[in-house]
Amino acid sequence: MDDTPDAPELSLFLASTAHDMKNSISVLSGTLERLLVAHSAQASPQTDPEYTQMAHMLYQTKRLNDNLMQLLALYKQVGTPAYPFDVQPLELGQLVDQVVALESVLLKSRGIKLELDYDPELVWHVDEDLIVGVLSHAINNAIHYTCDTVRLAIRATDDGWLELRVEDNGPGYPPALLKAGAIATRDTAGGMNFLTNSAGLGLYFSSEVAKMHRHRERRGGLRLENGGRYGGGCFILNLP
Amino acid sequence: MNAPANLPVKAVNEIDWAGKNYLIVDDFVGVRQLLRESLRSLGAKNIDQASSGGEAMGLLARIRYDVVLCDYNLGDGKNGQQVLEEARVRNLVNPSTVWLMVSAEKSVESVMGAAEHQPDAYLIKPITEGVLLTRLNRVWHKKQIFRLIDQAYAEKDYLRAARLCDAAIEAHKAHEIDLLRMRAKLMEKSGEPLKAREVYERVLEQREYQWARAGVAKIRMANGEFEQARQAFQSVIAENRYYIDAYDQLALAYQNMGKLEEACAILERAARLSPNSVPRQRNLGNVALKVGNVQMAEKAFRKCIAIGEYSIMKTPDAYLGLARVCGQKNDAKEALQLLLQVQRDFAADHPDIALRSKITEGLVYHESGDYRRARKAGDELEALLNATQDRPDVPTCLELATLLFAVGVKDAPVELLCYVIRNNHDNPLLLDEVQQIFDKARLGDEGQDLIRASKKEATDLMNQGVLLWKTGKLKDAVEWMRQARRKVPNNQRILFNAAQILVSHMQQHGYDGDLSAEAYDVLHYVDRLLPGQQRFAQLIEQLAQLQPVAEGAPPGGTIAEVA
Repeated sequence: MDDTPDAPELSLFLASTAHDMKNSISVLSGTLERLLVAHSAQASPQTDPEYTQMAHMLYQTKRLNDNLMQLLALYKQVGTPAYPFDVQPLELGQLVDQVVALESVLLKSRGIKLELDYDPELVWHVDEDLIVGVLSHAINNAIHYTCDTVRLAIRATDDGWLELRVEDNGPGYPPALLKAGAIATRDTAGGMNFLTNSAGLGLYFSSEVAKMHRHRERRGGLRLENGGRYGGGCFILNLP
Repeated sequence: MNAPANLPVKAVNEIDWAGKNYLIVDDFVGVRQLLRESLRSLGAKNIDQASSGGEAMGLLARIRYDVVLCDYNLGDGKNGQQVLEEARVRNLVNPSTVWLMVSAEKSVESVMGAAEHQPDAYLIKPITEGVLLTRLNRVWHKKQIFRLIDQAYAEKDYLRAARLCDAAIEAHKAHEIDLLRMRAKLMEKSGEPLKAREVYERVLEQREYQWARAGVAKIRMANGEFEQARQAFQSVIAENRYYIDAYDQLALAYQNMGKLEEACAILERAARLSPNSVPRQRNLGNVALKVGNVQMAEKAFRKCIAIGEYSIMKTPDAYLGLARVCGQKNDAKEALQLLLQVQRDFAADHPDIALRSKITEGLVYHESGDYRRARKAGDELEALLNATQDRPDVPTCLELATLLFAVGVKDAPVELLCYVIRNNHDNPLLLDEVQQIFDKARLGDEGQDLIRASKKEATDLMNQGVLLWKTGKLKDAVEWMRQARRKVPNNQRILFNAAQILVSHMQQHGYDGDLSAEAYDVLHYVDRLLPGQQRFAQLIEQLAQLQPVAEGAPPGGTIAEVA
């Protein structure tokens, strides 16, 4: 993108605008979290309409942030050498701490339980910012569709992959989304035609992030299915 | 921080974040308020705020902070990275200070690789309270693991630091990769490139880390395998286009191969991806000047000066280089203005700046064909040299001698070149270079004799000292080496032998505070002249083991051998 003469000005403009938008979103979500925490001290906050409305505002703010983050990352060409991809060794405990820290207020405000199943001392090599972004996006989605539980389960498989699952106990993904997911996450390009909504954007972004993670001859991947422990939607990331 | 050294991992959740001093730097008031509220929820009471880099520097100069939360993008003036660099260079933060760099999105700077001053972590907005606490705890824990290693590193006891790394790898498997990276760096600093390479290869067996790839390539380059190094750096760039350090190294490989055009093109690409680095713009300017691309050199030097305005890394090289550019564009007037400015702005930290600007002045006149004024500059330079015993660094000496010969001065450059030989009598490449300067001045034969005589002078000084030492006359040997250092202050063999003899003296006759301080002075001086020498690391370790109560040093370490 920096190979065209007018690109620097455009990217500078985008960078400074993104900076500004992020500041606004920071203040929005920070203030909402603070208000929600303050309200939750009262008796049965879930029945307070103000509380549930604020919870919904926080959910929407998170969606806004996810979309902005994904667009910016894709603009910077996630999936190509042009993205500042940065793999570091990371303990799963620290990865999960990050995700929980991002999601806990929203989960609590919606009365949803987050179930965790992972080995905190297991070390894997990932781009932390991207993976945290993908997982919290998946959890935000699950919060919207689940009944009352979201499960984050991470384990090393016998053949040397890291499997990260976000499951819920809702009705599961509709067939159209499963199909879109299958296409968006395919190795070859061409899924773009199905990306007519932000669900498509999130899936496409997540699958690009997965594919960027490579080790020897292996590349990461993403798949959607219904089932898992609670029979709802399963968002499954596999990293080499 | 007063925490004990070997705190168990579990205690991480019990860190007292309430009692610490915090600084928040962000140009957006909403974000400052938000972060302040988050910190207050952690119980913090002492929270300062700055809305710009300049304001942050003012606070950092007065108050020691335990935690700094600094936005990368601070509008006009210094950016977050420049605030960090200046705070570290001016020692305004403690090694234990937690520095978190905040940005709106993933920054190029966070993956550059070998940037000298890195924050403890990069955080991407939005930062909620939970995220902040999680990251503070994580950084604090990691700093605990690295505390003693960093301390040994700061004391330049690289071999002790390496042993501490090994012990830490056993105890903290989760940090193995980071500790190995540190270990490789320590081996490089101790003049043990083969051991560093082994460490990098051990990392690569686990995972394809670009810094380890680049590390191996750097060692191959130092070993003269320029083509292999070039290929390796290029493949690092192909894997990650933002790994900027690989560009700088690739340019060096090209320079070593004599391919200046290619080096220039690579540096230009790197400067486009990450334009706010003073050293990179300076290197680009210098290489562009060498290949005769005056336009590119001018652009790079001007950019270098502009970013230097807010950076502690600002350098006189950019002004001198730009003056050369002006000379080549026949604008002697701006050149002279730049030379006045550089002497005014850099006099405090660069004692040789008057000499260096005068050299540039001579070059500007010489290149623009004003031979009368060039000669006048030459005469003034000769007078400057006669007025002092101090001599500038080797490249400046060679540049100066070349210029003086060219404008028709003879005695001063001959004296300078002899000085260079005496101080580098065992560096064959440099001897060749000096001979070539003599040849160009049509003084080939005379030069050969002078080189031989200067070499002998240095060798005799050294041999006599070694003889006294080997025959057990340690006191005389110490005194002899002091004399030798006075006569040839920058000869690394003489300096290392002087330190070695001081160490032997203390090993046989017991520790002596004055001798120890003298040895440290000599070693730190030689390390500035020529970093990364094996003898430096070994002698520093031996010296540290001689200290009566050296905290952190292992008791009864290895007895240094007298060789």
